[in-house]
Amino acid sequence: MKFSLKWLKEFVNVNESPEALADKFNLMSTEVSSVNHLVEVNNLTIGHVKVCEDHPDADKLKVCQVDLGDTIKQIICGAPNVNTDQKVIVALPGAVLPGDFKIKKTKIRGVESDGMICSLDEIGLDHLYGHEDGIHVLPGDAPVGDDPLDYMDLNDDVIDLDLTPNRGDLLSMIGIAYDVKAMLSTQLHIEKPLVVETDDENPVRVTSETEKCPAYHARLIKNVTLKESPYWLKARLIASGIRPINNLVDITNYVMLEYGQPLHAFDANKLNDKNIIVRQAEENEVFVTLDDKERTLKTTDIVVTDDNRPVALAGVMGGQNTEVTETTKSIMLESAIFDPVSVRRTSSRLDLRSESSMRFEKRIDPSRTIEALDRAASLYHALADGEVAEGIASHDKTDKTETPIEISLSEVQSITGYPFKTEDLEEVFERLSFRFENKDGTFTVYAPTRRLDVETKQDLIEEIVRIFGYQAIPVSFPKTPTAGYLTDRQKTRRIIRQTLSVLGLDEVITYSLVSKKEAILFDDEEKSVIKVARPMSEDKSRLRHALLPSMLDVLSYNRARDIDDVLIFEIGSAYFKETEEEHVSGVLRGSYHETKWKDDSVTVDFYVVKGLIEALLERLAIRNVDIKKPDVILRHMHPGISAVIEINGERLGYFGKLHPEFTEEHGIDEDVYVFDLLLDKILAYGKSLDEVEPISKTPAVNRDLAIVIDESITYRELRRTIETMKGLPLDRMDVFDVYTGDNVGDSKKSVALRFWFKRRDKTFSSVEIDRFMEKLIDKVQDSFDAEIRK
Amino acid sequence: MDYGKELMQHLTEAKQAIEKAGDNKSLQKVKNDYISKNGIISKYMRKMRDVPKDEKKLLGKAVNDAREAFMKAYSKKQEALRKEEIERKLSEEAVDVTLPGKKLDTGHVHVLNQIIDELTELFIGLGYTVEEGPEIETDEYNFEMLNLPKTHPARDMQDTFYITEETLLRTHTSPVQIRTLLKNTMKKPIKIICPGKVYRRDDDDQTHSHQFTQIEGLVVDEKTSLSDLKGTLLLMARKMFGEERQIRLRPSYFPFTEPSVEVDVSCYKCGGKGCSMCKHTGWIEVLGAGMVNNAVLEAAGYDPENYQGFAFGVGIERIAILRYGIDDIRSFFTNDLRFNRQFR
Repeated sequence: MKFSLKWLKEFVNVNESPEALADKFNLMSTEVSSVNHLVEVNNLTIGHVKVCEDHPDADKLKVCQVDLGDTIKQIICGAPNVNTDQKVIVALPGAVLPGDFKIKKTKIRGVESDGMICSLDEIGLDHLYGHEDGIHVLPGDAPVGDDPLDYMDLNDDVIDLDLTPNRGDLLSMIGIAYDVKAMLSTQLHIEKPLVVETDDENPVRVTSETEKCPAYHARLIKNVTLKESPYWLKARLIASGIRPINNLVDITNYVMLEYGQPLHAFDANKLNDKNIIVRQAEENEVFVTLDDKERTLKTTDIVVTDDNRPVALAGVMGGQNTEVTETTKSIMLESAIFDPVSVRRTSSRLDLRSESSMRFEKRIDPSRTIEALDRAASLYHALADGEVAEGIASHDKTDKTETPIEISLSEVQSITGYPFKTEDLEEVFERLSFRFENKDGTFTVYAPTRRLDVETKQDLIEEIVRIFGYQAIPVSFPKTPTAGYLTDRQKTRRIIRQTLSVLGLDEVITYSLVSKKEAILFDDEEKSVIKVARPMSEDKSRLRHALLPSMLDVLSYNRARDIDDVLIFEIGSAYFKETEEEHVSGVLRGSYHETKWKDDSVTVDFYVVKGLIEALLERLAIRNVDIKKPDVILRHMHPGISAVIEINGERLGYFGKLHPEFTEEHGIDEDVYVFDLLLDKILAYGKSLDEVEPISKTPAVNRDLAIVIDESITYRELRRTIETMKGLPLDRMDVFDVYTGDNVGDSKKSVALRFWFKRRDKTFSSVEIDRFMEKLIDKVQDSFDAEIRK
Repeated sequence: MDYGKELMQHLTEAKQAIEKAGDNKSLQKVKNDYISKNGIISKYMRKMRDVPKDEKKLLGKAVNDAREAFMKAYSKKQEALRKEEIERKLSEEAVDVTLPGKKLDTGHVHVLNQIIDELTELFIGLGYTVEEGPEIETDEYNFEMLNLPKTHPARDMQDTFYITEETLLRTHTSPVQIRTLLKNTMKKPIKIICPGKVYRRDDDDQTHSHQFTQIEGLVVDEKTSLSDLKGTLLLMARKMFGEERQIRLRPSYFPFTEPSVEVDVSCYKCGGKGCSMCKHTGWIEVLGAGMVNNAVLEAAGYDPENYQGFAFGVGIERIAILRYGIDDIRSFFTNDLRFNRQFR
């Protein structure tokens, strides 16, 4: 809500500067988005064109002698409408016009010019006044030598309030005045309008067939004269961002701004029988609105009808059939209240949000409906020579009682934490002009109908605190003792984040909404994809099934910027119709670490990724994981360089190299490795230590063994076979060399193993160890047809 | 006594030879030459036979003295040579300590998670727990139970990604408040924060993102007051923006709190004097808060006569933008590693 400060001062005493007042609004009422002069120009004077002659050297220019009161100046003017005996706006040398246009004494085609005669456009008003060709000609009574901004009432400041949805009361000058009165603790001057009625009786009759119209009042005003509104009225509309049109229209807007009550003027001569009925529209009823558009209505819309013909879409827009035009002589003026929700639905469905509909949506003060009607009627009388017929046609079912709210001093103290005194509350209520009674510290406060937002104790406390001042509230802390901690899930997430970042991976966060294609890129499960109803674009229309597609986009983005080593991870959700599933995913490419001058580098490969995952799982105390070749080839993964991670037969995740066809198709580098783990499974199997194992006093003894086996035999098979041997006190085993090549034969590999034997109660003799080795050798020979290398 | 003289003579020569020896090997040779069994000095022992009885003793002493003196010089030299050797070895081994190390690059936690962790630590210290909820929410939890019925005009303020009529991508972390209140059938005191992703139907640009991150706070018990909220917010503002910061509360409106406030923190750039950062006001708007609306308590089965509390909500991106002077909210989700890696 933008408003003129001058206008405000008619209703309430304000001695503060516009900026100081804005500060008060910010701290006590609502946010101010700007404070400006209505017109940002100075050094203007009203001039009287005494002489206007052709320029000797230019066809389209005139040389004018302009009387400025104390002096006569020669000014060249190029406007087609400049003429002798006009009162005009003159910008004197030194004036700065919008667009940083500085006025200087100059010569135009050899003739001196000592200023400029201005159009409204040139002083920055055109967009609001509507376009006017040429310079602005002031009325004959304009006082020569005075400031034209004073004369046109444009010497004003404008404050723009950023309103929250609850403060509909601040959509009117009177409402703002009440709040300013409370903020500044000052005086109000609000007078009831006086209407001079004729003896003619108002012939209008009003009824409502719908409860969505709790009040409808109408007056008839005859013999109106259409003209331009006076400067003061136009200036105030302009301050509020409303374009002046003519007096008949401007008055309804002016009163709407003043009272917060939207009004509608019908051309009374175009009404059929002046028997106004408000009702719900019929389904598919057709109606042409003021903007000449045909609207198809729904039963939820409200219409104002006359002779069963809609003449207005209630609260939203009038009808073309009863539009006020230049030939209008008689006006039926409507001041009504329509249901906020219906108006909101209708106006948003038809895309017809307006200053009026917005006010209906935020609820109207039922006590001001008739006052606003009277105010407008008196203005039609004063500014349009209208004759106001006697009486008001009314339908009124509104409740105008003030809501009583009970609140005790101790409640206010308990909720605010400030030791308010009885006098403090009394002062606040007086400043707010809320009626109240106080019985032994229990207040009954009557919230006025202009403040429909004040309904509860809490609303009242908000009023008390804001007017008393938030700065008075002391600083303290909740006193209830509680324990603060992270859940296992939260702790685990944090450990993963810390571990992976210490291991060299950068964390990313990508969008949950992705394209149709990306959503199911890694699982092809279209059925369980969640689509948003009205996406902003196709590429953000679905919820992802995996983090990897977006992470691969991150890879491409960074590779396109010459970042060679991309090692990233993300912890986030994948979304399915049934569930949200948290994943820990990674994308790795480039060198894992590198010391160039040492020629020492580790490039990301399968075993680097596996090592990272093993380190992470170890950190998370997940034991007994089984990492193996997948039974079914994983989607988009290299069939020979990918593995699944299982525990107790359940899949915990997978990792490996992307399929070369996939990387080619998606235009990303070869040698990209990914991993994807399920947080729920990590949580299920992460076990913290139950009991410490005593450190053994006996040493572990080791022996090496090199065997040649078929290349197809995996280390996993070999290890499982050995680890499950009975009677073998194997502490651990390692592989320290795997070799294929000339000396081992086709499709064979040599594997070098180291075994540690240990028992905590005994030190083995070398004979015993030899026996273990023999057993072991027998086993691998039997199981894998292994050849022992000596 | 010629022998004595001779010995002195030899000793002088020997000392010169020791001095001359450049390494251990030549030093050994000198030792060998003079005091081995047939060494020049040792040989004089054999002359014992040739001297008169009363002089034997003198000769013996002279030879021993010479040997002793030799050994002293020898040991000294040997130590000097050893030192020299070590020096040489050390200098040979020296490296250029200014060459780069074999650094293992560490990665970086995303700045948004760093800030969430920082706030989480603060609030855990204050006795809060961390609650989370689904990102796909019901209209009921996201709006209706938060005092935002379907017809509420404030729903305009939150343009929503609906999935069905009744389900949506949560527009704020506030539904977690509802879930926590409902879950707490014993009506124990609640002190929680709820971090998480939220979504609004916005076109992405420099200042808007359809996905962003919030932390919500909620305290409900029998006596928590507006002053407790103010204290908590002051602590949080100082943790985020520095110990000297002040806060101020301004009236605002959220359907789920009443009174509702906007919270400004004194400008950390100019200290409140006014600069371009704070648009010359000295204050920067950082978050919204308020006392839990009774309608919310009632909807969740709490009697407002007995329970009261506060709630606040802060945008993590906003904190990061303010703290690090980030000029584009999209940077958090673009993941240009040159950006991500700056946050240690």
